[in-house]
Amino acid sequence: MSDAVIKLINVRRFYLVGDFVVKALDGVTLTINKGSFTAIMGPSGSGKSTIMNLIGCLDTATSGYIEIDGELTNDLNESELAFIRNQKIGFVFQQFNLLGRLNALENVMTPMVYANYSSRERRDRAEEMLIKVGLKDRMKHLPNELSGGQKQRVAIARALVNNPAILLADEPTGALDSKTGDQIMTLFESLNDEGKTIVFVTHDRALGMRCKEQVYIHDGRIADQDVFRKF
Amino acid sequence: MFFENFKLALKSMWTNKMRTFLSLLGIVIGVGSVVAILNLGQSANDSIMESMEVGGLDMVNVIPSGWSREATFDEEFSQNFLVNIMGIKDVVATVSSTANVRYGQERLSTSISGVTSDFFEVNKLSLLDGEFFTATDNINRRQVVILGSDVAEELFPAGGAVGKYISIFRTQSKRYLVLGVLEEKDATLGASYNNGIFIPFNTYIQRFRKTSQVSSYTIQVEDGFDATKVADDIDEYLSSITDSDTYTIFSPAQLVDMANQIMTTFSSFLAAIAAISLLVGGIGIMNIMLVSVVERTREIGIRKALGATPKVIRGQFLVESITLTITGGLIGILFGWLISYLIVQYAGWALHFSWLAVILAMAFSTFVGVFFGWYPAMKASKLDPIQALSYE
Ligand SMILES: Nc1ncnc2c1ncn2[C@@H]1O[C@H](COP(=O)(O)OP(=O)(O)O)[C@@H](O)[C@H]1O
Ligand SMILES: [Mg+2]
Repeated sequence: MSDAVIKLINVRRFYLVGDFVVKALDGVTLTINKGSFTAIMGPSGSGKSTIMNLIGCLDTATSGYIEIDGELTNDLNESELAFIRNQKIGFVFQQFNLLGRLNALENVMTPMVYANYSSRERRDRAEEMLIKVGLKDRMKHLPNELSGGQKQRVAIARALVNNPAILLADEPTGALDSKTGDQIMTLFESLNDEGKTIVFVTHDRALGMRCKEQVYIHDGRIADQDVFRKF
Repeated sequence: MFFENFKLALKSMWTNKMRTFLSLLGIVIGVGSVVAILNLGQSANDSIMESMEVGGLDMVNVIPSGWSREATFDEEFSQNFLVNIMGIKDVVATVSSTANVRYGQERLSTSISGVTSDFFEVNKLSLLDGEFFTATDNINRRQVVILGSDVAEELFPAGGAVGKYISIFRTQSKRYLVLGVLEEKDATLGASYNNGIFIPFNTYIQRFRKTSQVSSYTIQVEDGFDATKVADDIDEYLSSITDSDTYTIFSPAQLVDMANQIMTTFSSFLAAIAAISLLVGGIGIMNIMLVSVVERTREIGIRKALGATPKVIRGQFLVESITLTITGGLIGILFGWLISYLIVQYAGWALHFSWLAVILAMAFSTFVGVFFGWYPAMKASKLDPIQALSYE
């Protein structure tokens, strides 16, 4: 049970800002196995989001190789990347990123619209997912009628609805109070118990420690735990 | 997917009602003009066709102004027309006034005309019953009469007018044999035959007036000649022999020409408005769509993160701009219909609803939607997902 679902080999992501080269990631090699629950931890600006965006196919690397669920993503075009995002990745963001004009159910159905499910299947599955995250009685609510925790649950339901291989969560508790954050963390744990591979970015040490594995990142490089402790 | 996009488009139009309405004005006016042009063109055409059927576009009327003493009827004068102007088939003189007529207890006042026997053919009148009088009747000054349909109905409510004698009063009463009853005919350009009666020209001169001053000449134009051109020639000819205002020349063809000219002017005017408004409207749509793309940058980022391909995003914005312009088109159709209704009311035509106009309007608005929505939609589809997601 240790087959890799995510592989990063010597990945660099540089930005050119004026005359400066910002090395957001500078040679990251990382393997994440199926069914794992990995925390990516590190100080602000260390490159955590950059890694997530690369794994999530929202961004492309300056150099190096990225393999998602057995597929090398380096040379894929926009549409092919969109297909991977739709089918293999579920994204959960700090800022929830729900579509404000759509209600909870419609938000959850959206990824299935892009996957060409029938509207009947979309509805059934979206309802199933919302029930799973505990929002059975909030389906017709618009995002601004929901609390932060509820919004994040909608976002998680939406991330799960196409049954992706990987669930990526970039500081999903960052905008929540600690109690709500704790509940969301519990939801992630139960999803992982069901077998979902989860990559979880946080700078909350306690939450990070609840994950099964921890990866420390500093200045765009993987750091070992001992080095990391000094900061 | 299309349906989802369509629903979204309606939703966002609805949330920005005022903005939507303003941005649609150009399209509404443009499409409205196109619809009005086609409706009106067709209505005008219908009305022209109708007067052709009824009025006979091969006729020119020459009416002496103010009973000018110069305007007399004689063979020579008629002959002069035929000799001097190309394209005249026949000249018919008419004298008319009013008289009281009676049959049994029924009596009424009506217009009475003295006409030559070819008057009926020239004016394309046909009989419901009986027969016309002949040239011989005219020469012999017989006391015979042809009744207009309304007159016949009033004097003979039970029918059977032909063969009866009616009395016509004018200083003294005379009995006239009814030879025929005319079929009902719509009034053309002011001349109604239904409430008149017609007796031989010479009979009229003898019985009603001693001079031979003429009420009007009806000139029939030969086949293949342009009645408007003949009317102009007659005008020129008459001006050369008398004062230019002795006669008034009047032809249905001229009126039709005039109507056509007005229509053409009006259509070009509307077409210009249509072109400008569609252009301005299109730019308005482009502008509103660009604003919409910027406002919804974050939404675009989210949708891309959820797996929307550039094509899907482009499609969403195109459907939105087309939904906008088609809505504008629909309002424009109503608007154009209203304009044509008002103008048709004013012109006294029958409104013809042009389906071509509806189809064209829809095609135009779809085209404007695609053409002016393309650039904003492309722009949306090319947004970088990460930058879009971090847009505030
Ligand atoms: N679009 C960009 N242009 C320039 N620099 C960027 C850009 N995005 C991120 N960076 C830089 O890359 C580094 C890593 O950023 P990020 O991955 O967002 O950090 P984290 O998520 O760990 O806080 C930071 O120094 C950041 O300023
Ligand atoms: Mg970050």
